[in-house]
Amino acid sequence: MIFEILAVGLIISAILALFLDEVVYSVAALAGTFFFVAFIYVLNGALYAAIFQFAVGVGTLSILFLSGEMLGDKPVRKTSPKRTGVLVGIGMVLSLPAIFLSVSGSTTTTSDISIADALWNVRGLDVILQAIVILTVALGIGIVLYEKRKGGQ
Amino acid sequence: MDFVILSLVMLAIGIYGLLTNRQLLKVFISVELIATAATLNFVMLAAGQGFGQAFLILAFSTDTAVSGVILALLVIVSKKYGTSDIGKIIQMLQDKGESEDEVQ
Repeated sequence: MIFEILAVGLIISAILALFLDEVVYSVAALAGTFFFVAFIYVLNGALYAAIFQFAVGVGTLSILFLSGEMLGDKPVRKTSPKRTGVLVGIGMVLSLPAIFLSVSGSTTTTSDISIADALWNVRGLDVILQAIVILTVALGIGIVLYEKRKGGQ
Repeated sequence: MDFVILSLVMLAIGIYGLLTNRQLLKVFISVELIATAATLNFVMLAAGQGFGQAFLILAFSTDTAVSGVILALLVIVSKKYGTSDIGKIIQMLQDKGESEDEVQ
């Protein structure tokens, strides 16, 4: 039963994140989406995935909040409670297929590979290369924004 | 309860938002939703095993780096054109192109 509630909450928060007029409320709804996904991971035993989802989600959201405050155009009209109710209703309807339909059979495979093995022994080179790429991207973004700020002054 | 259909619904919502929203930040939120749908599929199909979580960590790290690039571009575009509405930005670019044609 709890998975069904989480599925409904996930779809509703995803729809609210996209279609609320105020950007800050949208980002708050996106936070709800990340929270529901992380909770689904926890209930399925994927604890590391949940922690990572939560940590990265919080990081992304804090930046998004800042961007939303800085760049968000003030909406001409605020979202009415009626429109919010319609969006919630649409979300509930859209979550019904996930609750009542099924496409996947019992194809669960078992393997003894732990997450540490998967990350370091099987995908170790990927992890190191990805860390280099991400550091380069972060450095590039910093340089671009610094140059932009210097050019603006 | 089927997580494949759940992630498909989320993917559909993200793509719909990507096609219909005109605000840059909302477009970015749509991209985030699409990435979340993909990673949900990874983890749930692996049912808590190491591979699914390892793939999620790799995929989400890349997604975060992409998010950084998108947000930096978003800030620059919004500061340059004074708006974050895609329609207005395209209109400004078209007007600019027409005025340059008239000068030539």
